[in-house]
Amino acid sequence: MWSVRHIVASRSIYIERSDEMVQSKKQKYMFLAFCLVPTFVLFSIFTLYPLVSGLYYSFFDWSGASDNKEFIGLGNYVRLFNDAIIPDTIIHDYFLVVTKVIGIMILALFFAVALTQLKIKEAPLYRIVFFFPNIMSVVVIGILWMFIYNPSLGLVNSGLGFLGLEQYARPWLGDENWALPSLVLPSVWAGIGLFMLVLMGAISNISKSFYEAAEIDGATKWQQFWRVTVPLIWPQIKICILYIVITTLNGSFVIVQVMTGGGPNNSTHVMGSYLYQQAFVQFNFGYGAAIGVMILVLSLITVVILQFILRRDKIEY
Amino acid sequence: MKKISRWLLLLALFALVFMAACNSDGEDVSSESDGNADDSSESESGDAASEGGDGEISGELEIQYFVGGYGDSWWKEVIADFNEQYPDVTIVEHAGPNINEEMRSRWVSNDPPDVVYIDGAGSSEAQMVEDGQLMNLSDWVQDIELENGDKLVDSFLVDPASYDGDIYTLPLVFDTWGTWYDKAWFEEKGYEVPADFDSFMSSMGAIKDEEGIAPFVTTGQHPYYFLRGVLYPAFSAAGGEELLTDLITGAEGAWSSDVTLEVMKKVEKMQQEGMFDSGLGALNHTQSQMNFLLHDNAFIPVGFWLPNEMANDIPDGFEFGFIPSPMQDAGEPFAIVPDLRPLAIAENAENPEAAKAFVEFVFTRDYAMSFSEHTGAIMNLNGVDLSENPNVPEYLTEANAMINDPEQVKLYNKPHPMSADLETPIGNNLLSLMLGNMTAEEFVKAAEEAAGQYRSGL
Repeated sequence: MWSVRHIVASRSIYIERSDEMVQSKKQKYMFLAFCLVPTFVLFSIFTLYPLVSGLYYSFFDWSGASDNKEFIGLGNYVRLFNDAIIPDTIIHDYFLVVTKVIGIMILALFFAVALTQLKIKEAPLYRIVFFFPNIMSVVVIGILWMFIYNPSLGLVNSGLGFLGLEQYARPWLGDENWALPSLVLPSVWAGIGLFMLVLMGAISNISKSFYEAAEIDGATKWQQFWRVTVPLIWPQIKICILYIVITTLNGSFVIVQVMTGGGPNNSTHVMGSYLYQQAFVQFNFGYGAAIGVMILVLSLITVVILQFILRRDKIEY
Repeated sequence: MKKISRWLLLLALFALVFMAACNSDGEDVSSESDGNADDSSESESGDAASEGGDGEISGELEIQYFVGGYGDSWWKEVIADFNEQYPDVTIVEHAGPNINEEMRSRWVSNDPPDVVYIDGAGSSEAQMVEDGQLMNLSDWVQDIELENGDKLVDSFLVDPASYDGDIYTLPLVFDTWGTWYDKAWFEEKGYEVPADFDSFMSSMGAIKDEEGIAPFVTTGQHPYYFLRGVLYPAFSAAGGEELLTDLITGAEGAWSSDVTLEVMKKVEKMQQEGMFDSGLGALNHTQSQMNFLLHDNAFIPVGFWLPNEMANDIPDGFEFGFIPSPMQDAGEPFAIVPDLRPLAIAENAENPEAAKAFVEFVFTRDYAMSFSEHTGAIMNLNGVDLSENPNVPEYLTEANAMINDPEQVKLYNKPHPMSADLETPIGNNLLSLMLGNMTAEEFVKAAEEAAGQYRSGL
């Protein structure tokens, strides 16, 4: 049986091969499989499996520190809706999303335009300087900024003192109202470089002739920026915004954990840091998993909404 | 088209098989290791029996211990001595400041170490007992004797925690939180060492005026330091062990009781009079201790680990002074609530015989003495005279004498540590109170609500 099939198969290869220059179908699929299967396997292990198991554990009352677990159905989700801290963590997360998107996009766009169009001699140096925070670990950035914010030794308060603005000095990270806004600055600082490079790449792809034409027509620099630059780099801006949103929803955990640990009095907890606290400090792993599912759902919804909002026809001149 | 769909089918099948394999793998591994665990412990105990026939201890013994402020030099000494006495035992040490996190997967997969010292972040004695991870030692502990024949159960400074009458852990380290100050500085400037809450306030007031600093600091990132270091003694002094127990277990009405409110009013007063460092909300453990050493503040509530942990950063002329947190009314003795760090044996220990031998080996008065020399803290055994030992730091002999003088200090025991599910929300509200964003009344209301949620298991 096998041999017959084998012969048939090899003949079909032979026939297909005789058709010169055209890859045999089998070869094509082999190649496709060669490309897809390893990726799919890795994707399954490192993305699908944790995803499914996270969902699975969210139905259990489990401390996360032993092998005893009890199935409680939707118990953790009921608790999620009754937990007064959850709405705060969501608000904090979206506060960071909005401020980071605005802060990073304005500054990155400004620097990108400045470094590509204003013919600054030291442009390469600035490119490196601005990109520098991106190669630093977020943990290092967090610790660095903790020193900057330190109430007695920190740069911020002593700087305010130097300027004669002592009355504005405060324990930034220890103040329930100021701790969360204080986290925005390091996050923005750390994020600018990468997006600046992306936007610089996009801007330098715009043909100079558009700007010349605009100039001849009497457009100011400002008009050139809004009418030429922005529409032509819109796809990149869109990618940058989406990327900032996704990384903030998933990753603001690190900077919160390092700099404030969610405090004072939960005023800086984001969903991720609250998940960590529940799962690993309060030993409610199942509940932590339920928070994880919530983060996933909210991130998906956010991205879908953003895709819709940022939809804009591609412009070509 | 047909071929494409066939390929897709194949791919999907492959994925399914793969995932199934993964799954069954996971189960296999655990059941295998379970089997192994049984096998090895059987074979080891078998070996032990065959080797000596007289209960010779052998095989591999895994010990997990957290290394924090007390360092690990005492552990190294004990383990080396144990190895000398039991040369057939191979000891595997799992130690470090993050060991609780690192060993978690071993506990989850039911392959725990044999002996565990429960201390530090990421560990919870109550949780381990609740999860059935620790061996019931109630009967076995009755037979343990110290080097001079005293029964161990009669020789503890503080008795083991009781979980429905059963003993799962043996308290090894007797730590207690209290309030620290720089003795040399206080003597030089003539500041009063507080003896009760009123003198505490007047002393802090004098320091505040004289030095221009906020006299009191604690870490706001871990508000439970203030809870354990200042409020537990305050509650005990005001309402005794009964109140302390009710507060820790979250009993109905305990947090909103008048006595509790009275104590919280004292904290509110400290805040209103500017005694708290306004930056404490941002400070972590080390920063707060550093500020204290630098005289940015004058008082800090922490445990006995402080001098040992900060040994490399102590300024010249700094002299550690320790008093139980002075929150009691005038005329009352100080209150101390011991904080115990226990040693336990895993329920699923692979080598329980060696584990028991080790635990028995550790609890001696000689090691209690060397513990104080190594760590500057006290091991939980009575009858250890530190006063004659020149290697024990002065603050410790003084504190030890104070603790043993019932006229000055009264000991109050907590039933068990507070669950993190209650301690976290209480700590958060407490920080708000210390920062002046909440009144004492609002605090007790919020705390009572948190206790209610804790009781209902939310």
